[in-house]
Amino acid sequence: MIPLSHFLTVSAVLFAIGLYGVLARKNAVIVLMGIEIMMNAANLNLIAFSRFLPANRLTGQLFALFGITIAAAEVAVGLALVIAIFRMVKTIEVDRIEKLKG
Amino acid sequence: MERLDQLFVLLKKIILQFAESFLPAPLLPFLSILVSITAIAIFAPLTMMYLTWLERKVIGRMQNRFGPNRVGIYGLLQPIADGIKMLTKEDVIPLGADRVTHFLAPVAVVVPSLLLFSVLPFGRNMTAVNLDIGLLFFIAVSSIGTLAIFMGGWASRNKFSLLGAMRAFAQMISYEVPLVLSVVTVVMIVGSLSTEKIVEAQSGWGGLRWFVFTPWGFVGFMLFFICSVSEVNRTPFDIPEGESEIVAGFHTEYSGMKFALFYMAEFLGAFAYSAMAATLFLGGWQGPLLPSWLWFGLKTFCLVFTMIWLRGTFPRFRVDQLMSYAWKFLFPMGLSNILAAGIWYHTPFPLSFIFATWILLLSFIGLSRLNPTGTRLERRTYRFAE
Amino acid sequence: MELFFYLLATLTLLGALGAVLLKNLVHCALSLILFFAGIAGFYILLQAEFIAAVQILIYVGAVATLVLFAIMLTQNVIGETTLKGLGQNRWWALGISLVVITVLVRAIQHQTLPSFLPEGRVTTNEIGHTLVTTYVLPFEVISILLTGAMIGAIVVAMETKKNKQQATGDRRRT
Repeated sequence: MIPLSHFLTVSAVLFAIGLYGVLARKNAVIVLMGIEIMMNAANLNLIAFSRFLPANRLTGQLFALFGITIAAAEVAVGLALVIAIFRMVKTIEVDRIEKLKG
Repeated sequence: MERLDQLFVLLKKIILQFAESFLPAPLLPFLSILVSITAIAIFAPLTMMYLTWLERKVIGRMQNRFGPNRVGIYGLLQPIADGIKMLTKEDVIPLGADRVTHFLAPVAVVVPSLLLFSVLPFGRNMTAVNLDIGLLFFIAVSSIGTLAIFMGGWASRNKFSLLGAMRAFAQMISYEVPLVLSVVTVVMIVGSLSTEKIVEAQSGWGGLRWFVFTPWGFVGFMLFFICSVSEVNRTPFDIPEGESEIVAGFHTEYSGMKFALFYMAEFLGAFAYSAMAATLFLGGWQGPLLPSWLWFGLKTFCLVFTMIWLRGTFPRFRVDQLMSYAWKFLFPMGLSNILAAGIWYHTPFPLSFIFATWILLLSFIGLSRLNPTGTRLERRTYRFAE
Repeated sequence: MELFFYLLATLTLLGALGAVLLKNLVHCALSLILFFAGIAGFYILLQAEFIAAVQILIYVGAVATLVLFAIMLTQNVIGETTLKGLGQNRWWALGISLVVITVLVRAIQHQTLPSFLPEGRVTTNEIGHTLVTTYVLPFEVISILLTGAMIGAIVVAMETKKNKQQATGDRRRT
């Protein structure tokens, strides 16, 4: 049997990797991918806890389900923004997007 | 009779009993899995081989020629000859290609289409894995194939490959929506995602309880079948590999065995989708007299034959027609089908039939009226050839 | 079981690392798919098969596709789509990530976690029932959110007449 702490550790490391992607990369698509990694790490936590806590098994899974839905909505809007920005300034490097006026 | 019906189940039992005599007990579940996997792994390529033969034969007859008839009687050994040819061909990788992705794509396209077979109920007690979420598994796994096609198209570094891959992407995503909507009705009525339960729910009344005989089931079946033809990129939905436009689409740069794998995935997909349509709407393995697996095979064969027939009959869609067909016709039809299934579930029998039929008829007529029949194209202006 | 866990953990971590470190954008996206699939594997390990199937369907089937589409629309499509690499603040980012890992792992180690595995699994039926009884309000809110996000995404990404003219003008000039 694998202890809960193993799952939590993996999830923590994944979260940190996602954070690194968001902070270090310049490309807007990769920033979004980093956010997705962080959200997945959080969902993994929820499911892991729901497996080990008998009272909240259903709640954990449902929250993960909601989390997945929100992540899908977020990525759709985020990528639409990336495409709109690309049309305007012809780049998606986040530190070169400095105009406030289109 | 009973023996014949359970032939393959008994066969597996005999193998397991034989293995019990010399294998330690903890290994037995693994052996059981292994036997099922082996059965699928033998069955799937065999199906694919003879589907290619069938397709060439049927298309040949439709075009007033014989089709393959040189190797073996009726050309029955043709698939084996083809296999040898494919295996011995040179495997060309384009110089600029992304080697790893180029290599992984055919693998990634075949594995999901083999996984699809694991939840199909081939007969009574003959589902390899009776998952609680079988149907959802089927849909989820079938959506992976899209990415594999993209990988192949992108890694080839060829504009036709990439065009084909992007077309496949757009098409498969669009047609997955009505596909899922058509399946939702069955899940609503049965109240389970398990394929075995869905088959059980259609038993009795001498086949009259097959879902295809209800109004929502009929519409759902049509939607599912049309979308599945599109999902496996077969004619008339084969714009991702349209020969007259983009050479061979996403598999332009593939040769030898890798090409054969793409081909195999297409046929396995066609078979798996037909089998799923038979399971969901045509009562699965149920039927009188003949053994259950034979009934399942017959129903699936009829649907596969229809797919081949479509290929021999219809010309290819244009890209804009393809998209507007999915989003402006199939998608709203799927939504009104869900409404019809809901009414069917909540009203007593004769009323439900009338209501559901009217809803579906009205939405069908309304949608065909709203969608313009002849598309007016913009006048084409030629920039260089004037 | 243990072996399966370590295999999955390696795959998932490699996928995540590849997604944030690789040079080629499409490689990043493909490696992200590996990561998504790994997470689905974890869900199966934790007996949440329904969530695992949803994960495959939504992330691998839809989100990855969207990401690839966005890459194709914003990059030089064929050929080398390599990036210029990392920004100047990568050392800061590395430091912050390391701090986060240390803090979280310390916190996990110093906590007494439940180690007992309860019996029984959550059936799909239960999930469905709870979704439309106890959690019906969040469910409805989520569906409104999804509709809003969909409309928003279409409106934001839609080619208006003005920037379409601009785009064709650009193409003429080049």
